Amino acid sequence: MRTMEAENIIEMLHITKEFPGIIANDDITLQLRRGEIHALLGENGAGKSTLMSVLFGLYQPEAGEIRKNGQVVKINDPNDATALGIGMVHQHFQLIDVFTVLDNIILGAETTKFGFLQKKEARKKVEALSEKYGLKVDLDAKVEDITVGMQQRVEILKMLYRDNEILIFDEPTAVLTPQEIEELMATMKEFAREGKSILFISHKLNEIMEVADRVTVLRKGKYVGTVNTCDTDKQSLSNMMVGRPVQLEVVKDEARPGEAVLKVEHLSVPSHTHKKDAVHDVSFEARAGEILCIAGIDGNGQTELVYGLTGLEKCSGGTLTLCGHDISHASIRQRGENMSHIPEDRHKHGLVLDFTLEQNLVLQRFREPQFQHMGFIKPAAVREYADQLIEQYDVRSGQGAVTIARSMSGGNQQKAIIAREVDREKPLIVAVQPTRGLDVGAIEYIHSQLVAERDKGRAVLLVSLELDEVMSLSDRILVLYEGEIVGELDPKATTVQELGLYMAGAKRMAKEGEGA
Amino acid sequence: MKQKLSHLWGRDGTKSVLASLISIVIGMAVGALIVVLVGLLNPSMGPSTMWEGVRLVFGGLFSTGRDAAGQLTFGFNSTNLGNMLFRATPLILTGLSVAVAYKTGLFNIGAPGQYLMGTAATLILALSIPSETVPPALIWLIAFLGGIAAGAIWGCIPGLVKAYLNINEVLACIMTNWIAANLVTWLFDKGSLFEHLQNTVENTKTAYIYKTSFNGVETSKMGLDLIFPNSQVNGGIIIAIVIAIAMYILMNKTTLGYQLKACGANRHAARYAGISDKRNIVLSMAIAGGLSGAAASLYYLSGNTEFFWSTYQTLPAIGFNGIPVALLAVSNPIGVVFTGCFMSMLDIVGLQLTNLTAYNEYITDVIIAVIVYLSAFSLVIKLAISGGHGRKKRAAELTAADAASPPPGGESPDAGNPTAEKGGEEA
Repeated sequence: MRTMEAENIIEMLHITKEFPGIIANDDITLQLRRGEIHALLGENGAGKSTLMSVLFGLYQPEAGEIRKNGQVVKINDPNDATALGIGMVHQHFQLIDVFTVLDNIILGAETTKFGFLQKKEARKKVEALSEKYGLKVDLDAKVEDITVGMQQRVEILKMLYRDNEILIFDEPTAVLTPQEIEELMATMKEFAREGKSILFISHKLNEIMEVADRVTVLRKGKYVGTVNTCDTDKQSLSNMMVGRPVQLEVVKDEARPGEAVLKVEHLSVPSHTHKKDAVHDVSFEARAGEILCIAGIDGNGQTELVYGLTGLEKCSGGTLTLCGHDISHASIRQRGENMSHIPEDRHKHGLVLDFTLEQNLVLQRFREPQFQHMGFIKPAAVREYADQLIEQYDVRSGQGAVTIARSMSGGNQQKAIIAREVDREKPLIVAVQPTRGLDVGAIEYIHSQLVAERDKGRAVLLVSLELDEVMSLSDRILVLYEGEIVGELDPKATTVQELGLYMAGAKRMAKEGEGA
Repeated sequence: MKQKLSHLWGRDGTKSVLASLISIVIGMAVGALIVVLVGLLNPSMGPSTMWEGVRLVFGGLFSTGRDAAGQLTFGFNSTNLGNMLFRATPLILTGLSVAVAYKTGLFNIGAPGQYLMGTAATLILALSIPSETVPPALIWLIAFLGGIAAGAIWGCIPGLVKAYLNINEVLACIMTNWIAANLVTWLFDKGSLFEHLQNTVENTKTAYIYKTSFNGVETSKMGLDLIFPNSQVNGGIIIAIVIAIAMYILMNKTTLGYQLKACGANRHAARYAGISDKRNIVLSMAIAGGLSGAAASLYYLSGNTEFFWSTYQTLPAIGFNGIPVALLAVSNPIGVVFTGCFMSMLDIVGLQLTNLTAYNEYITDVIIAVIVYLSAFSLVIKLAISGGHGRKKRAAELTAADAASPPPGGESPDAGNPTAEKGGEEA
């Protein structure tokens, strides 16, 4: 018994947490050993974030207890959690945009003398920590001006500054570039070596296998099991998580590309941050029955290219031809007649979060006679259509068609968008990072949907930052670097390394007309 | 049965209604408390006076005066009820104006300006078209529609500025309010275009415009004077209720309402779905403005209200009182009918206090003020009812409530009365 107490720094025993219509955590037990990296794995909506919110004092469980070093503790709010040495990097950062990095780090734990801030001491401490762990930050920059990767380092420094010994990372890699992910992994290992205990929430199996010592798997709010990473592999972990054998590789036949559906000629799109065009003189064709992938490191013009194509942004030059019509100056709605769009930012563009699921599912189609008569919405038709999509695309939510979109898990929000867009049956599907932040089950599903659409003869234009996805899903790859297409590759004839060189701008194909 | 009850309890709407009712009850209780406090501080008021005051605060609407023995009597009072409905008419409409804008993500604090523009248009049309040649019913209709149009145009301006220049509608509304106040004064001032509309016949008071009945134009009673004899009530209340129902249908049953709400809830997603966000912002401000204009039209077309034209340093309280009316109704168009009636009931209570006791009507202003503050807190009350899980959600809703908290306002909507000094502080 004594050794057990010393070994487990945090124990969450038989935790149960209910929300209206859903049991988010059903009798879940999690034991975190001192100095280990413990991964918490589960699909979207499996209850990982809820469990961590319970540990961090954001929610009170209906049943179960939390122990620290064997002692039962009550965590009523995040202040209690901080006092117990528990720190958390949230999936959506909790930073004040207009404050400097230093101010953000010390916020809530300021050193004061006679009521005056002692920023010098704080600065010294933060600088030492940043030096020690190689967490490079600009202490005087405002948070709104720094990259997402640096914002995350600020969040980590916040925990270190408070001398937290139990560090929770809630899906920390979802927003990072591959290089930043590697740095983060190294930092986490360094923390563990020093005896800090880490809870790492993720559904990326690669990362878990690389960095974690043990994994606890949750499925639909229930505890499935805890395993050592050295005794398991990716396939069995994903089977545990999804509850059935999962296809990790994309299965697809040879593409049979047909006519060009979309022709892009010399397209340029202005940038909001620079004087230079974000997309400069880009030409390509997307063909029916083919998945064309735009690869590239984030921020190389992918977002602007899609905005230019879909009409969210005015193009500064070039012509766009969709299904034989010139759409260079067409409105978003006109373009939408032949194009569906799975947007990059599902909260900003994809959903009206305060609307119900059914209202969101008809967002693109409410004008169609099926759903309205003389301007009056047909509620029965909307409900029927929503129920059909929910059923067909397995969109899970607390209250079905009338669930408020905001309350749904990220994966199911994305599924709803995919259902809406795919079901419009348009010749061109623009899918921007359709699997970002999703678990393997959902990724498998979305990939198979896109392949199915391809096989129905639709053109799929996929924009992705994930190399694995680019390599496995696409039939043809275009690499975008600094707003220009620097390479066209065949995924079967190229390697990840070569693709990486193009993406980094180290290699480029000669432009047409410039002579080889 | 139990399940049904718990289902009803679980519904968001139920909690909203309860939260508003709690605000109202607390507001009335504070009113009663003040009656008692004033009584305690005033040696000439005994416990019986205080008790009378408290009873009037809660039941003033049904007060029928005093009996031979000097005791307060209560019962059906057609004058009070009719006057309540009469005063509720414009409040319901300005409440709708604020509520509809709020549902589409806009805070229409420009109702006073829109109301003034509606007033001017209505009066000019109703008094200028010769009733010898044009049937008064037609003049009434033209004046009513003219008032709506003037309000709508005035509402468009902040909408356009917001849609195309991304300037906050609250700023633009406040500025257009004062432009309206000065513009209207200029229209009716000495030497101006419509100086001849100044009332020179019943010149017991100065600076008033003729009542529309001077030209034979007034709203039909629609039989309501038979139900509520000896009151000012007219068909306007029926028109207001019909408009409220129409707004409910527009917002909840039509594609237009769907688009307006989508733009309000997430402008980016609406644009993504091919909905013109700019058009919808302008449109929703125009609808809001039109409703405020209709409020003015119905109020002045009653034929027994006169307009004090010198508005250059005051804004009509009816416009601002639309904000608490909408807040208390949680922006539900049907709810606005009831909260509008409730607000005007408090006016009646004030009059009863003044007429029957040593207290004055300003106690009801205090009640309104308390309710206004509480209605801004009604989200907190709502969360307290539901037991408050989800801190993040609460924080988000609190921010929303902050943004929507109304400016201090709330004099009695006694529009015939110049409220120059008080109105100036409001914007």
